[in-house]
Amino acid sequence: MIKPVAYFKPDSLAEAVEALQNENARPIAGGTDLIINMRNGTENPGLLVDVKGLDELDVFSANGKSGITIGARVNLNFLIDDAKLRNICPVLGESALSVATYQLRNRATLIGNLCNASPAADMAPAMYVLGAGVVITGPHGERKMLISDFITGVKRTALGKGELVVKVEIPEIPDGKMAFLKKQRCRGHDLATVNVAGIADPAAKTLKICIGACAVTPVLLKGTDELYRETDNVDELADRAAELARKSIAPIDDVRSSAEYRRDMASVYVKRLIRKICS
Amino acid sequence: MKEYSKIVDIRVKVNGAEYRESVPANMTLLHFLREHLMLTGTKEGCGIGECGACTIVLNGKPVTSCTILAAEVDGSEIHTIEGEAKNYQLTDLQQAFIEHHGEQCGFCTPGFIMSAQSLLDRNPNPSREEIVEAVSGNLCRCTGYEPIIEAIEAVARKKS
Amino acid sequence: MLVDEKKNYRYIGKNIPRKDGVEKVTGTALYVQDMILQGMLYARIVKSPHAYARIKSIDTNDAEKMPGVRAVVTGKELSYKVGLYVVDKDILAKDYVRYQGEPVAAVAADTELIAEQACEKIKVTYEELEPVLDPREALKPEAPLVHPDLGNYSYMKGVFQPQAHTNIPHVQKIRHGDIEKGFKDADYIIEESFYNPPVQHVPLETHTVICQALPGDKVLIYTSAQSPFTVRNLFSVCFGMPLENIRVKIPYVGGGFGGKAGIHFEPLTYVLSKKAGGRPVKLAMTREEEFNTIPSRQGLYSDFKTGVTKNGKITALEIKYYWDAGAYADYGVNVGRAGAYSGAGPYEVPNCKIDSFIVYTNKVFGTAYRGFGHLEVHWGIERNMDIVARKIGMDPLKFRQKNVLRPGAETITGEKIGPSHGKVYECLDAVAKDINWNGLKSETEREKEKKTGKVRGKGVAVLHKAPAMPTFTTTAVILKFNENGSVDLMTSLTDYGQGTYTALAQIAAEVLKMPVERINVPWDSDTSFTPYDWQTVASKGSFMSGNATIMAAKDALMQIKEIAAQVFRCTVEDLVCKDEKVFPEHNPGKYLEYKQIINGYVYPNGNTIGGPVIGRGRYTAQGLTNLDFETGQGLPALDWTFGAHGAEVEVDLETGEIKVLNLSSAFDIGQTLNEGLARGQIIGGVIQGLGSALTEEFKFSGRGKFLNAGLVDYKILTAKDLPEKMSQHMIENPQMDGPFGARGVAEHPMISVPSVIGNAIYDALGIDYFRIPLTSERIYLGIKSGKKEYHD
Repeated sequence: MIKPVAYFKPDSLAEAVEALQNENARPIAGGTDLIINMRNGTENPGLLVDVKGLDELDVFSANGKSGITIGARVNLNFLIDDAKLRNICPVLGESALSVATYQLRNRATLIGNLCNASPAADMAPAMYVLGAGVVITGPHGERKMLISDFITGVKRTALGKGELVVKVEIPEIPDGKMAFLKKQRCRGHDLATVNVAGIADPAAKTLKICIGACAVTPVLLKGTDELYRETDNVDELADRAAELARKSIAPIDDVRSSAEYRRDMASVYVKRLIRKICS
Repeated sequence: MKEYSKIVDIRVKVNGAEYRESVPANMTLLHFLREHLMLTGTKEGCGIGECGACTIVLNGKPVTSCTILAAEVDGSEIHTIEGEAKNYQLTDLQQAFIEHHGEQCGFCTPGFIMSAQSLLDRNPNPSREEIVEAVSGNLCRCTGYEPIIEAIEAVARKKS
Repeated sequence: MLVDEKKNYRYIGKNIPRKDGVEKVTGTALYVQDMILQGMLYARIVKSPHAYARIKSIDTNDAEKMPGVRAVVTGKELSYKVGLYVVDKDILAKDYVRYQGEPVAAVAADTELIAEQACEKIKVTYEELEPVLDPREALKPEAPLVHPDLGNYSYMKGVFQPQAHTNIPHVQKIRHGDIEKGFKDADYIIEESFYNPPVQHVPLETHTVICQALPGDKVLIYTSAQSPFTVRNLFSVCFGMPLENIRVKIPYVGGGFGGKAGIHFEPLTYVLSKKAGGRPVKLAMTREEEFNTIPSRQGLYSDFKTGVTKNGKITALEIKYYWDAGAYADYGVNVGRAGAYSGAGPYEVPNCKIDSFIVYTNKVFGTAYRGFGHLEVHWGIERNMDIVARKIGMDPLKFRQKNVLRPGAETITGEKIGPSHGKVYECLDAVAKDINWNGLKSETEREKEKKTGKVRGKGVAVLHKAPAMPTFTTTAVILKFNENGSVDLMTSLTDYGQGTYTALAQIAAEVLKMPVERINVPWDSDTSFTPYDWQTVASKGSFMSGNATIMAAKDALMQIKEIAAQVFRCTVEDLVCKDEKVFPEHNPGKYLEYKQIINGYVYPNGNTIGGPVIGRGRYTAQGLTNLDFETGQGLPALDWTFGAHGAEVEVDLETGEIKVLNLSSAFDIGQTLNEGLARGQIIGGVIQGLGSALTEEFKFSGRGKFLNAGLVDYKILTAKDLPEKMSQHMIENPQMDGPFGARGVAEHPMISVPSVIGNAIYDALGIDYFRIPLTSERIYLGIKSGKKEYHD
């Protein structure tokens, strides 16, 4: 059961930031992780600051290739349904579609999924390969950081006391193909055994691949651009990227999968990803 | 520092009826509906958004009411299974569930109907794949799903 | 009973909508979870974090002081034992905890939150002990005893034999023919071992009970249970309370599957209610508790030794079953017994020896689960038959056709298969045809197909099951008439989704010659109002209560005719009934409507004869015997339902993922009572069985701690996980003593689904798997191992 907690719905971002200064205060947007954690007793905040009413967080823009901004109020089904986004950056919708269920995606937000900082977070790999940054507001004003700096460990982020992620900014979208793939235990909703996202720009010869659920944080493979430049053969590229993936990850044994299976599936899924985005 | 209350005043419309209530901030929307308003058609199957038995429609969208606090829905419009049959007239979907044996123990049925009706409202002629996507967040242990999918398909066919 | 070979039925076999449809689709059906009684308190429980530990102390002081707490109980103050077949369980753990998740203390409070917070304040200190987690280990003489007092427990005599100073509440033996001769006659002897993990029922409504201790040593119980009279009986034994003082009411129940068959938290909530001054107490299991506090399906290790001739005739079968009963015997001992007498599958095995060991371990205990041991034993039986067939170079389908039970054959308990039995070979033929069975693929074909990255394979498997119940199983049905001639059918069988009430209404309508719409089946079962029924289990509901309904309807018709005969001044033999009317056969124009008779016939002058008509029917399982303790010979089976599945799967070689392309099922159900309901039972059971096959299993740490309690990491199948194609065949070779020839089919669809998938996977990969679930990880690791047999 959820323990008694105070609730406050601020009218402005400033008010939200002020409320978040309280000991044990937590922002709540979709709440689909937080409320479950509170019900299970793994999180016991004293104050919930409901940021769903804040206009500053209700931003979304995806204009041409020049970049995408997604505010903290934007839920995952929006990312699936938005036609413009599907056109210019389909990997977001693909990732979102693999998260939980339709009902939960009507509440769950992109930023919530990132702030929860699960190693298996399905939205994170796409953010890594797109080079997304988070915009944070707090008592000391605004700061920005790369997603890879923001997620620091299992369920840990760089958010300081009283801080709040307002939006995600994705820089210019490269030309080329992108995709998200996920290994799970059944076809219905499940947490990822392994998830991978990738984006390949054949003109600029850039290739970004990120693997989730195989280390304490998602792993953005290093040296993939070089691999991409070194070979035009997709099968060879797939094999070499998979080998790189195997060396770069540090999966564990848990109730969902053995480390061995995760490692092998990371390799298989990286290959499949390469074939999808590099052919 | 400001004092923040553990009790929240909310105003909601449930199945067309207006309510002004004071609720504890730790009360889920599911418990608000079941134990405060005594609308027990919405069921609790897991409490963590995995089973969909507590599905209701919030401002036009199906959600699991166990993962939402009542405090969060101030100013919202809510539809539950109790609001489906108007004047004791079953909806086409409810009728189709009965005809196709879409219900067995019945515990998951209200949640399925809310998910499926919401799908039919936004897409009157969904494909089988779209139906499956829309209801796959609702678990059923009795029917094996096929009769439920058939019931929804029957309504879709009727509409097209 | 009443078998019409021409099937000239008005309601039998028809697709009639459920009687409870409207209540369920509108959310008005009321479950115990929905109920609130005046003054009701809410209970929560403190559970053991250890699989095996001595309770050193329990300090409830802080909990008791909390405002809103009305009662706190611990095991120490409760001197009651409860148990279905072996009375081995305390209401709350005393001195020792025997599984992780076992309740050790409980609180009733004004709200659920207060109760939960009070539970957090109860301080329990334990001395952790080394648990025994594997039933084969628990059989060893040096194993710790889960129940050192087993020799002192009471139990059902004549059926079970607990062995003092061991971990064995029962061993079921089967000795049929001459096993040594059987192996001597064999050209090949083949040995294989298999394993099933424990799994959960996952009814959508968790176990919930409301209990109120009333003055005068009485109690009122509302419970989400399957069997009101069993709850009452066991409750009475537990507290020494007279039966008539105990009233058990069962409203709508959100799924059972065997998990709600017995007694659960009725005694605990009673104790809390009594301590709280008689206020009603409600206890609803959380989903997590439903996994590791509420009992499960037992795990099973099985060892097969098969003797077979060159031309494919089975000569001997020796099997050892080791059931992981967990901490308490509950239904588990009977599951192990049923698993033994059905333990050779639907085959003619002239020489058979089975030892079925039910073994205590420090795990959540086992109970009944749809299939009652048969899914578990058939995983071994039907994988074994495939392997044996291959090893002697025979097509697995032909091998089965050669060995399955046919008229004249004998079962392993000595029952002769006769003309009234179903025909398993017809089921097998139906599914083989459906999947276009052409024999196993060759290694060359397989290697060629592997180059595509995906391989397909086909398999078949058969199954059988009879109701597992005591020899004295009995039930009753009462039909009472309303003033307008409509009927209320009263039974204590509960319908938690199977559709039995609708089937019974159809049977009553067929016999009474009246519209099915005019037969009402009131939903609450209530031990104070509805007549006795042993239990709602065993797929015996339609069969036994159906027969009781026929008898009750005939009884009512006879009463109607007796009055009509007086009025018409004729004999009852002259009268016939049709369309709610009774009339002399030769003069249909001269009739009385039922409604003119069912509350007494009134002559024009006001004289009245007769009175309310009450139809009484009963049915007792006939001719059943206890099994001989040494040989297992006897008649345990009221009726056998036979069936078969055929499957085609596709395996992704890179990931081990399985796609089920086709799953065809056939059952000889004698006579379909309701086409839609029967189909619903089959599809639902098949998908539940597919969950057992593909995803479902309990995971424990090395210390016996449950690792995946809850729906996040215990995956049941969703709408996305269905086979691409499914078909259902109802074969109808009537059972002469079944209602209109019908047999039960509630549990059977689950059985052998894992086996058929395992067999199809062999055909695809050329690898034998011996454990379920066949997760993509297990399949993948099997492929990666490069072995032809993958035992992990």
